[in-house]
Amino acid sequence: MTNTLQAANEGRSSRLLGHVVLLALSAVGIWALSVRFSEGLIVTHLTQHVPWGLWISLYIYFIGLSAGSFLLSTLIYVFGMKRFEAAGPLALLQALGCLVLGMLLIWIDLGHPARFLNVFAYWNYSSVLAWESALYLAYSVVIIAELYLVLRPALARRAHSGGPLAGLAKKLAFAGEAEEKAWRSKAARWMLLLGIIGIPIAIGVHGGTGAIFAVVKSRPTWYTGLFPIVFLVSALASGGALLTFLTAISSRLPKAQKLDLVRSLGRLTVGVVALDLLLLGSEMLVVFYGGIPHHVAGWHQIMFGPFWWIFWFVQVGLGAVVPILVVLGKRTGNAIGPLAIAGLLVVFGIIGVRLNIVVPAQIEPEFATLPDAYHHLRFVRGYFPSGNEWLVGLGVVAIGTWLFFVARRLLPLDEAEQLAGDHSTAAAGPPPIHAKAEGRPAAAAGHVSSGGDL
Amino acid sequence: MAREENDTPTPQADAEPSSPPDRRKLLGLLGGGAALAAVASLGGCKTTSPRAEGAQTRRWGMVIDLKRCIACKACTIACKNENKTPPGVAYGVFLEEEAGTFPHVRRTAFFRPCMQCEKSSCSKVCPTGATYHRADGIVAVDYKRCIGCRYCIAACPYGARSFDYGHDYIADAKNGYNLIPSSEYGAAYGTRAKGKSPSGNVRKCTFCLHLQDENGDYREPTACARTCMGKAIHFGDLKNPEATCLVHGEKMQALLAKRSPYRLKEELGNEPAVYYLPA
Ligand code: SF4
Ligand code: SF4
Ligand code: SF4
Repeated sequence: MTNTLQAANEGRSSRLLGHVVLLALSAVGIWALSVRFSEGLIVTHLTQHVPWGLWISLYIYFIGLSAGSFLLSTLIYVFGMKRFEAAGPLALLQALGCLVLGMLLIWIDLGHPARFLNVFAYWNYSSVLAWESALYLAYSVVIIAELYLVLRPALARRAHSGGPLAGLAKKLAFAGEAEEKAWRSKAARWMLLLGIIGIPIAIGVHGGTGAIFAVVKSRPTWYTGLFPIVFLVSALASGGALLTFLTAISSRLPKAQKLDLVRSLGRLTVGVVALDLLLLGSEMLVVFYGGIPHHVAGWHQIMFGPFWWIFWFVQVGLGAVVPILVVLGKRTGNAIGPLAIAGLLVVFGIIGVRLNIVVPAQIEPEFATLPDAYHHLRFVRGYFPSGNEWLVGLGVVAIGTWLFFVARRLLPLDEAEQLAGDHSTAAAGPPPIHAKAEGRPAAAAGHVSSGGDL
Repeated sequence: MAREENDTPTPQADAEPSSPPDRRKLLGLLGGGAALAAVASLGGCKTTSPRAEGAQTRRWGMVIDLKRCIACKACTIACKNENKTPPGVAYGVFLEEEAGTFPHVRRTAFFRPCMQCEKSSCSKVCPTGATYHRADGIVAVDYKRCIGCRYCIAACPYGARSFDYGHDYIADAKNGYNLIPSSEYGAAYGTRAKGKSPSGNVRKCTFCLHLQDENGDYREPTACARTCMGKAIHFGDLKNPEATCLVHGEKMQALLAKRSPYRLKEELGNEPAVYYLPA
């Protein structure tokens, strides 16, 4: 017991440090945002040839994380993969948070942000971006509904035990066992239905985000039917990887159960990463074999351009090869720490994938000498984000991360995980006694610290 | 797009700015979208400028004779002047390409306005329909509707669109130069101010449509064509077989019939309204 208390104390101080760093970054980000909104997009280094930069890369990155997380949650709620059940609530929260960040980033990127509703007021049905905007909304409704269904029983428990949101919990509490049971069976059916509706929406959300680029015939690097698929696959990879990482660092499941969950998630993730590499290889083979100058130019930028290292080190090395080796490794693949790092590496590597999707394809202008036709900084060749772009990007990520941890703390995720964990072990066979025995006090301790901290 | 079928469309007429019925239906299908549209219009977010459709009977186009072009680039300056585009925004640009190694070198040079594509990529991808295709073939931008997402820039195969990042030639807002509004779209957007359209919008060559009269015919030719001292830029109607170049009087169709004309990036299927006669 003293051990747990000590650990809890240590955890608290490092958590405090985390909050301080995140809040500082958020504050800088908010300042940078205020500059961006008062001055306009003049603060960016975007040009006439590269009109989309860091913010759009981050936007598709977060949409991908969101869609990936959601699709993973459907493995549980639609396809009944009990192994992952404990990760379900977290996956949904992650899907919601990342979606909000993605939408926030594309909104920040608009030249006239105040007019964003024009997309709905004047629907242009031939625009993929218009369809996507609608899909994002439909998608957020599905996620919020699912989150409610998943969290209600756990939240209801707080009506008696206290904790954050206890007031809300009282309103949602069940009258008795019987009512809860009836509600649960209804909720499970709703979850199935929402998941089934949600799958095509999530595929549309991210495959469609890929299609925003894929339909653009003026940029040959984007213009391929493989693109929406690559988007989906890398979305799954990033979603799975983030889930692996977050489960590893924040889940309060008993150790054995947790390792099992993290390992399954890690394996799933690197499997998808490998598929992603396969698609990449196929695309490269066709492009280089064909040797059409426009096509090759974009890939040349990616692989041998000024940011070649993003491709080789971030995207392929740290983002794919290393995590695959870690998860396949006999020792590393069976320990929570290395698995968490493998997850984090993939999450990080996909940022490289997104940057390489958005930027290099635009570097080669529509006519080779277009940058020389007009002498102005908005006509130069190449692109590197401005200080403001970096700070806004970092700030938004920091705000998102901070909000995530706050939500993680406020919402009854631990309880929901616990309920699901019990449920899945019960379903898998007779519950191992020791797991249960050590599970309860740990959860209780977690509860105390979670109540006091924020 | 609400394309009226009358014979004498007036460019200044208030074309119905709200969604036509078929689009309404689509919105209805999207339940949530319809609700949002309602919220948008209630909240005053629904902004649009009066839309001119131009003359149905015309298809404005250019025939650029590269044999006559002396690469003086006066066309680009005339365009800057006419449309008063800010720094970093270019409608018509002049492109020069060199190929080969000495002594076997080749040089190509040509003026590139917006191609006013029949199948314009820009208006196809625009989520708000701010970029739209007029009846007379000109592709225009409704600055009040445009949200500045820049999808159209990414999609245009000819690099013919510019985002207005808000640069100014002269910082002082009260300077005489800054008090004159740009004449494009009939000076509909007034004097330039920070954060106000067209700043924050995507802009493009409009074939100088503000030079059209109320019947949709040109009072005078586009600035680039007018200014070209080599008489290389022919501008006129491509629909009517008898129509002549507004600057030099040659029959447009005859110009196209004589020397094998070509269009840029024909393989993409955008069907530009700008033809080149080889040098
Ligand atoms: S050249 Fe570009 S901007 Fe002009 S109509 Fe064609 S696609 Fe649109
Ligand atoms: S920037 Fe404006 S004109 Fe271009 S696609 Fe976006 S809304 Fe349409
Ligand atoms: S037609 Fe007018 S707007 Fe277009 S390039 Fe010529 S001068 Fe510029």
